[in-house]
Amino acid sequence: MPSDAGRVRTVIVDDEAPARALLREYLSRHADLEVVAECMNGFEALKSIGERTPDLVFLDVQMPKLDGFEVLELLENPPAVVFVTAYDEYALKAFEVHAVDYLLKPVGRERFDEALERVRARLAGPPQPTAAPAALAAAARPPGQHLERVLVKDGANVHVIPVGRMDWARAQDDYVEIHSDGKSHLKQQTLADLAATLDPARFVRIHRSVVLNVERLARLELIAKDSRMAVLKDGRELPVSRAGYARLKELLG
Amino acid sequence: MHPLFVGRLRIAIYLGLWLAIAAMLAAQLANPARPFGQTLAFVVPLTLVYAFACLSAWWVCRSLPLASTSPTRLFTGLGGATLQASAAWVVLGGLWAAALGRLYNVPQNRPLLVHDLSFLAATGVALYLQSIAVHYLLLTVETARAAERRLLESQVTAREAELKALRAQLNPHFLFNSLNSISALTGSDPEAARRMCQGLGDFLRQSLALGARERVSLGEELALAERYLAIEQIRFGERLTVAREVEPGVERCAVPPLLIQPLIENAVKHGVADRVEGGTIRIEARRRGDQLEIAVENPRDPEAPPRRGQGMGLENVRRRLTALDPRRAGLDVTREPERFRVVVALPVVPFEPDVEATRAPRAAAARSPQPAAEGERHAV
Repeated sequence: MPSDAGRVRTVIVDDEAPARALLREYLSRHADLEVVAECMNGFEALKSIGERTPDLVFLDVQMPKLDGFEVLELLENPPAVVFVTAYDEYALKAFEVHAVDYLLKPVGRERFDEALERVRARLAGPPQPTAAPAALAAAARPPGQHLERVLVKDGANVHVIPVGRMDWARAQDDYVEIHSDGKSHLKQQTLADLAATLDPARFVRIHRSVVLNVERLARLELIAKDSRMAVLKDGRELPVSRAGYARLKELLG
Repeated sequence: MHPLFVGRLRIAIYLGLWLAIAAMLAAQLANPARPFGQTLAFVVPLTLVYAFACLSAWWVCRSLPLASTSPTRLFTGLGGATLQASAAWVVLGGLWAAALGRLYNVPQNRPLLVHDLSFLAATGVALYLQSIAVHYLLLTVETARAAERRLLESQVTAREAELKALRAQLNPHFLFNSLNSISALTGSDPEAARRMCQGLGDFLRQSLALGARERVSLGEELALAERYLAIEQIRFGERLTVAREVEPGVERCAVPPLLIQPLIENAVKHGVADRVEGGTIRIEARRRGDQLEIAVENPRDPEAPPRRGQGMGLENVRRRLTALDPRRAGLDVTREPERFRVVVALPVVPFEPDVEATRAPRAAAARSPQPAAEGERHAV
């Protein structure tokens, strides 16, 4: 679908048909915008945005499978984002992930046009310094609330790993290797960033490069003075540093 | 710990009472054969010791509750305790008389001692029986107070649960999303927009009306759910389907208002809104003997993370049911990876609209508008 140079290529993501229709109608009055795709859920959005590389996306927050923030986290080069939701409690989080605007349903036309003005200003300005999306998502997590599932992009697929099923993870250069149900997944994130989002009552950094789900721990073995090995329930052995041992001891009492 | 020992004043009053008893006993035992001072020295310490011995009736009475102990067991238990206490007192009296005799250096007056001790035995039995009577009285008062407190507590819990349910009935996000849908339809299908406005108005009016009453019929509650689902149908389109299995006749059973509504809203949220393909919500109602069973079931996404506030709505429904009838009303939750089912059970009570009319004003007055914290309002 070739588009005129200068037109803002836009994707609408909302799981409710009337909500999509409303945005489409509002957008139709702006000749400089073009709707290139409409998506009904997070997976579709991810695929569509990856393929069409739009300039702008209207993103609902509460959706099946992946919520709006998770979609944003998984995008490598996210476009300008305007969140559209009935919930006002995500506003702060939205601006922390550099959303251009945050529209509350029911969306009024004037407010919508105002958001488009901001979009135009953002797109005309210098490129935004973008932090790593995963780091942004971590930063946007409200204090006291921990990650409930880890998302790993694998080509066109997304693996959703509930944190309870995550056994352990280790650092591999700029990636983390996440082990879950006997499989391993590579995710572009630092171990420190991942560890910061996990519930410290369930996950312990037992080594500079290893995070362990304490429920998987079978026993600790002393292999030399001051040097220990964690043995998991599936028999795997992982190194435990002295600081890691101290953290484990503190958690397990 | 005996309730007497909670305050010094109580102990003082109790001892004062026993000093008076001691004085009366001394007057009874006064004898020209010995100076009155010696009689006092004999009676007063013995009586005060017995004052504490009589407190043992507290534990005796507690171990033999009047309502649930057989007469034989009551008779032997109480009689045994009384005889033991009295016998111990007589023995102590004999020893004390011997000690006093040595102290005052008077020869033993055997007939006087036998008279004194047999008097002590009879008095000991009488006093201990008195103590038992007083302790049973105390226990009865205590039980009655505890029952009253429990009743008050359960009434407060029920009231709180009701208030929470009423606040939750106007889920603001449902309103926001519906208004957004209406706004969308206004452009594309004005007639549908008008229908939806009307549907939303009917739902709100009906839910306020039901919320102001103490009891509604299941039929009214289910009709409200239908209105709600019709509105959600516009938002979710084909993703939302509803299956109903309502036994004829159960609509005339009485239920607390807005008991089912939060379950339906939960079902739409988890069974439809959180699933790409949507799902079918099952609503069932049937009689099982003298119990009314209402089930709401929805499919669920096994990977969906637990949402904040989930479970609070269910907990509130559970509390309201417990307040209604702690033994026969309750909530049963089946949580499977792909399916979620809640079964509400409560005793069958026929709905009588006439009784309701007289009660309505009281319930409405209790429902003065209260600004709810954001977190509480969408707790369902």
